[in-house]
Amino acid sequence: MSIPRVAALATNTVRQAVRSRLLYTLLFFGLVLIATSVGVSSLSYVESERIVQDVGLAAIRLFGVGIAIFVGVGLIHDEIERRTIYTMLSKPLSRSEFIVGKYMGLLLTVWAQLAIMSLAFLAVSWVVGAPLGWNLVAALGLVGIELMVVVAVATFFSSFTTPLLSSLFSVGIYLAGNLSRDIRSLGFQSGDAIVEFAGQALYRALPDLQSFNLTVQAVHGLPISSLEIGLPVVYGVGYSVVLLMASALIFERRDLR
Amino acid sequence: MSRGGNETMAEKNEIVRVEELVKDFRSGLSWKPKRALRGISFKVFEGEIFGFVGPNGAGKTTTLKILMGLIRPSSGEASLLGHSVGASEFRRHVGFLPENPYFYDYLTASEILEFFAKVSGVARAERADRVRTLLEWVGLDHAAHQRLRGYSKGMLQRIGIAQALVHDPKVVFLDEPMSGLDPIGRKEIRDLILRLRSEGKTVFMNTHILSDVESVCDRVAIIAGGQIRYEGRIESFLGEGERCSDVVLAGVPARTLVRMEKSFGADATGIGDRTEFCIAEKNVNALLQMALDSDAEVISVTAHRVSLEDVFLEAVHASRENR
Repeated sequence: MSIPRVAALATNTVRQAVRSRLLYTLLFFGLVLIATSVGVSSLSYVESERIVQDVGLAAIRLFGVGIAIFVGVGLIHDEIERRTIYTMLSKPLSRSEFIVGKYMGLLLTVWAQLAIMSLAFLAVSWVVGAPLGWNLVAALGLVGIELMVVVAVATFFSSFTTPLLSSLFSVGIYLAGNLSRDIRSLGFQSGDAIVEFAGQALYRALPDLQSFNLTVQAVHGLPISSLEIGLPVVYGVGYSVVLLMASALIFERRDLR
Repeated sequence: MSRGGNETMAEKNEIVRVEELVKDFRSGLSWKPKRALRGISFKVFEGEIFGFVGPNGAGKTTTLKILMGLIRPSSGEASLLGHSVGASEFRRHVGFLPENPYFYDYLTASEILEFFAKVSGVARAERADRVRTLLEWVGLDHAAHQRLRGYSKGMLQRIGIAQALVHDPKVVFLDEPMSGLDPIGRKEIRDLILRLRSEGKTVFMNTHILSDVESVCDRVAIIAGGQIRYEGRIESFLGEGERCSDVVLAGVPARTLVRMEKSFGADATGIGDRTEFCIAEKNVNALLQMALDSDAEVISVTAHRVSLEDVFLEAVHASRENR
């Protein structure tokens, strides 16, 4: 794997992605939702600052994931559709490097959007007098790791199927990933060995996206242990690496007609 | 069918070697695959311009995609510079211009060449010089900082050739390099291809424009219906080639016409009561005798050499008959 080649591809992917109107539309609505959280919080008599932060963090997660999936699924497909991939793969660039380059470019784009939304969120929190602390930074950091996994999921599906199917599959995995702990619990509660095994297997296969959600701790000022940050980071990076390896393996065998 | 010349190539280095290559494609819900390549074999030697000629859908682009590692063969072997086409590292010696290329049109000419130079592993110290030299070489130095979305088709084709050369490859593959260009654009690309040969590069060119093949290629292979129909040096078509004749007859009875087509393997073209045959020179006397025996009238006999177009049309015709 050549770092300069991957870096060149990632940089170009960022330039490609920032030309997407969809990206700006989603970013705009994300910022609007963060801003309007002030209005939503005014409907409550108590803890209005916490509502601002609750809504703000939810908006960041939702629109971050939207950008990751809906911008991400088109990137590889566009390269094939416009045949730019033919020129690219005729160079001494392996298909694995291509996948990793596209992934890194998309991840940098998504992280840049996350940074913009986070700044807006912190500004709104500061304006309404909500507490600002390291807990919030940790929660936003784990949203970044969650997006790393979601971008890997989008890249995985777009390595072998169309943008429409990739979007559907990625949204499905995102929803199931947020419920994977519940699926496991249901298995345990069923009392049936097969259902329990199936629940456990699904939990292992699906990304445990709830492990990246520190909203409650951040908003309510609860203590966050280093394990609560460290383990999800290791898990997120590991899960993404495995998905990228699978994407590269599938893409390696794909006929680019 | 080979038209000779291969023995003189024996001592030259093989750049491309294709052996019994087969490619099947599955389409839609059909279980029966469509066979695009039916066991083709050919070689390309160092320093030559090789024309890979065929009608649309003959299998040219499929072959090229296999050579570029974009699709996998169903069976058979293909190697470039002695390496199996599946590998990627040796590709630093290979340049490729796809058909109707699309480049990131938000980049300028120098930015796109810089990008491809990075992807191709050109050392940082050499990149700027290489980009400048190439832009001059393809005559686009004046438009180096113009975004590609403002480029004409001819300019895009030239930037396509420049990107194929950015890492100074030994062999360059061009897929339909002159299609869709005006006469001036075609001449410019033709001149660039000839310059590549003079610089010692091997050029593999996919095309269906026969005049371009005649003007630049050293050797040619004709593919039709997924099979190689002819392979040989271009001179064998243009100079020392087999002679043939156009024979125009009038009033040929239908039964004789069928007999003539069967005996000489030639298709007759009818215009009014006149019938035109294009047959090998050695068969002319027999055909005339048959015509006179059936009281037909001989209007004209015109001898000419077999052109690349004749061979091409014959190959296409044969492939349709074999379907």
